[in-house]
Amino acid sequence: MKKKNINTFEIELSRLQEISSLLDNDELELEKALSLYEEGIELSRSCLSTLKDAEIKITEIKKKLDDLKTEDEELFED
Amino acid sequence: MKSVLTVSEITKQIKQVLETGFENISIIGELSGFKAHVSGHWYFNLKDANAIIACTMWKGVNNYVFFTPQDGMKVVITGKITVYPPRGNYQVDVRSMKPSGVGELQQAFELLKQKLSAEGLFDLQKKKPVKAFNKKIGIITAIDGAAFQDMKSVAERRFPLVEIFICPTKVQGAGAAENIVENIRELNKFKDLDVIILARGGGSIEDLWAFNEEIVARAIYASKVPIVTGVGHEIDFTIADFAADRRAPTPSAAMEMLTPDKDEFISYIREFDDTVYDRMKKILKAKKEKVDNSIYSYGFRTPEGILKRNSQLIDNLVYRIMQCADRAILHKNNRLALLTKSLESHDLQRTLKKGFVLVKQDSKFIVRSEDFNKSIPASIKFYDGDLKIKISE
Repeated sequence: MKKKNINTFEIELSRLQEISSLLDNDELELEKALSLYEEGIELSRSCLSTLKDAEIKITEIKKKLDDLKTEDEELFED
Repeated sequence: MKSVLTVSEITKQIKQVLETGFENISIIGELSGFKAHVSGHWYFNLKDANAIIACTMWKGVNNYVFFTPQDGMKVVITGKITVYPPRGNYQVDVRSMKPSGVGELQQAFELLKQKLSAEGLFDLQKKKPVKAFNKKIGIITAIDGAAFQDMKSVAERRFPLVEIFICPTKVQGAGAAENIVENIRELNKFKDLDVIILARGGGSIEDLWAFNEEIVARAIYASKVPIVTGVGHEIDFTIADFAADRRAPTPSAAMEMLTPDKDEFISYIREFDDTVYDRMKKILKAKKEKVDNSIYSYGFRTPEGILKRNSQLIDNLVYRIMQCADRAILHKNNRLALLTKSLESHDLQRTLKKGFVLVKQDSKFIVRSEDFNKSIPASIKFYDGDLKIKISE
């Protein structure tokens, strides 16, 4: 299974927050409320499992000495 | 000894005397006229109140000095005297340089702090905002150091979804400052980095000195990516801390500051489950109330009324039908009696029409002749009427 990344998690979480505030409205149509509820429960499951299965990703930056010289100038001239 | 010497000859002799006589000397003095040449060599003077001596420190050895010398700093140097015949001067060829005491570093620190502060490198309004939820974090520290391990475990515990980009860096001793600067630039090439942590575990002021170097402060200031420092222990303040967008007291604290707590998300999600469930119940309840209200509203109640009224009507009708039936039966019975009577009378009439009569005495029909009383009147019934008679003999 492909692990979900942080962006997916962030999107799902913000949708969850959105659903939470949408459902705060008693006037919501029943159909709509039910589908939001279902979506929300699905998302909450997904977010929880993403957090549970997450493994920290570490990338070691190995500098290429060649391109240091040229980039130095432009980055720090201003 | 010859009485007259050439300049070269005398210089050669002086060189020999000085260079053999002062092969290994240590001198304490104040730095002045310090110049780091582009070639990498250092040129400076060491002085006190009454004397001055020129010094050189070559590229190959000056990179072992853990701090950048500044004019006015009191240092202890070790080296030997060399004579330079073309100029006819002597100087100290410096092998090593140390600050004369911790106070010297402290002073250098204060001087640099004042200078950079005056330049605006520490201005609060220049600081880049640092978020609490960072997805990609660059780290500048020693990859085999305890600081990195600490940060890694904090990240794992708090928010394992975070992505870490570690730039293995020399954080102590000669060349550390330069390496830090290089790596700040290196990480600035990653456009989507949210933040950079510049960190080092605890140590002496000498150990941490790289973080007090001017070039490091300037690189931090110039960085496009926000930089958070976590250097040494809580009590240690470095120039880098002042230049950084945010200072954390330790490397672990820096990681903690930049990552959200997984448990907070988990309890938020759990709370979401509960609250949406309650909200759904509320919504359903509201809908149910609406339906109930509709059912019991006038509009919906009417059919029931109609029904009730109709059933009453039906009851009435049934009652009436029953009554009618009863009456009809009674009527029929009466009619039957009547008809029977008329039937009977029809039979009699028919007989009477044939010429028979009925004889009646004292309102009784006389059937036998012996019952007839000649002395009293009698009535004779013909089909078309009665006739009173009296027998006279």
